[in-house]
Amino acid sequence: MKKNKLNKYFFIGPHLILFIVFIVVPTVYGIYISFTNWNLISKPVWVGLDNFRTILFDQNSTFYFQLRNGLKNTLYFVLITVPFQILIPLIIAVIMSNKDIKFKGLFQSILYLPGLISVSASALIWLLVVNPRLGLQNVFGSTTVWTVSEKHAWMLIAFMSLWGAIGGNLVIYRSAINAVPQDLYEAADLDGASRVRKFISITLPSIRFPLVYTIVMSTAAAFNVYAQPLMTTNGGPEEKTTVLMMYIRRLAFGTGESIAGMASAMALILGLVILIISSLQFILFYSSSKGVEVK
Amino acid sequence: MKRKTVNILTYIFLISICLIWMFPMIYGLTTSFKSQTDIMSVGFKLLPVNWILDNYVKVITNTSSAPILKWFLNSMVISISHSFLVIIIVSLASYGYTRMEFRGRDILFYIILGISMFPGVVNLIPSYKIVQKLGWINTPLSVIVPGLAGVGNVFLVRQFMMDIPRVYDESARIDGASDFFIYFKIILPLVRPVLIVVGLFSFIGSWNDFLWPSIVINDVSKLPITAGLQLLQDIYGNYVMIGQLMASAVIAMIPTTLLFIFAQKYFMESLNIGAGIK
Repeated sequence: MKKNKLNKYFFIGPHLILFIVFIVVPTVYGIYISFTNWNLISKPVWVGLDNFRTILFDQNSTFYFQLRNGLKNTLYFVLITVPFQILIPLIIAVIMSNKDIKFKGLFQSILYLPGLISVSASALIWLLVVNPRLGLQNVFGSTTVWTVSEKHAWMLIAFMSLWGAIGGNLVIYRSAINAVPQDLYEAADLDGASRVRKFISITLPSIRFPLVYTIVMSTAAAFNVYAQPLMTTNGGPEEKTTVLMMYIRRLAFGTGESIAGMASAMALILGLVILIISSLQFILFYSSSKGVEVK
Repeated sequence: MKRKTVNILTYIFLISICLIWMFPMIYGLTTSFKSQTDIMSVGFKLLPVNWILDNYVKVITNTSSAPILKWFLNSMVISISHSFLVIIIVSLASYGYTRMEFRGRDILFYIILGISMFPGVVNLIPSYKIVQKLGWINTPLSVIVPGLAGVGNVFLVRQFMMDIPRVYDESARIDGASDFFIYFKIILPLVRPVLIVVGLFSFIGSWNDFLWPSIVINDVSKLPITAGLQLLQDIYGNYVMIGQLMASAVIAMIPTTLLFIFAQKYFMESLNIGAGIK
């Protein structure tokens, strides 16, 4: 019995210690310091709800502007990327389910590969693709400088993000669609169902779990956006593409004295937004999919 | 529509989207072989006039402001050690959560899983403080270790271990085998495929990590390559020395791309696995 007890720590111990040191402690501490004034060096000073009051209600404060602007831009990024991150791979997966098509593995690999490239490398490449002198737009005689116009800056960020983001979801959808029992489709064929009808009544309900999974994961990941705008537009023009993570990073680890307490308060708000939206997505999708049980 | 027409349209669609998806990488690659005069000319040209290696020579021989080979080696050390440690720690923990009998085992696991769902952005700043307290700032440990705490991989491997019939270990136990023997000789070989997948994704995640290394490493010579690329736009003339920027980007993409080409099978299986469980 004694031996077994030691053994238990031998197996789960290393992970448990790491988990406590690098997840439990910093999470609890992160919540705590959002109620303090802290410069990362001296002892945090408890200020109660002051940080939140400032960033949420004090209209004269730069922090108020930063939270609003950062959250707004982050939300905007989520809205312009996540729907496409789901729809584009879903459409491709459905099209690829056509049995006569060959080279599916090759197509899939090509679409998947950009997801394995770091954002910093792909940003360098995308800045070339939209370069005013050498970019693809020259073919069409356009000399737009993408990083200085708000609309184009967002397009660049969105294209680049989608480029790397569809491959993973595509693989998931394809395997989910392949697992749908064929007799469901054959039965529908006998009833003379159209392609669209089959997609809505058979495919969608059958793949709802992977679908919800990818929606929740893609959304949560998109809320953490940081590197794409940093590397391409550096938040410009005029902070129009500065996302919340960039402000958090700057306040806590920028030049000058760290304002880690305020940054933590912003991080906590972002964390709560992610948590609430993920939970809502789960509840919404699961309750709505209960009705469409597939045999 | 006739079946044949549908097929042709499908091919046209798939081939065009693949061409679009390949284009940025190919253009980046060909541009890395262009001379600076070639790059200074106006207009879109896919291929270089002369294929030259100058850009690569220049970025590799720049060992002061952007020591890219050093960065590359740093990344190799970091990503390889990280993925090996992930495999060891995750497989040990999964064995513990499936094979060791103790009170509250499953509850403990679900508590850990639940806590890990809390968005990671909140622990970013304190994690820095912890790493600093440990004296790890500007060392590879700062980027190798904290990521080992994740629970997702334990969840995945645990699912696989639960599916291994108990008969395997019971019979070994009757023969007097220790837990470590069962773990190492019986369970590990059976979950090898999923551990390879976990290792591959850990390598790639570690190689491509950007925000965290840029916080805990500020000594230029200690940077991993992904974070190092951030400095290049300024170093290579505010996006003027494009050939050298592209050569650097290409160097940074080589390992993950090669890994994908040689281990494609595992990548594709893995995602099926992940989707199947969740």
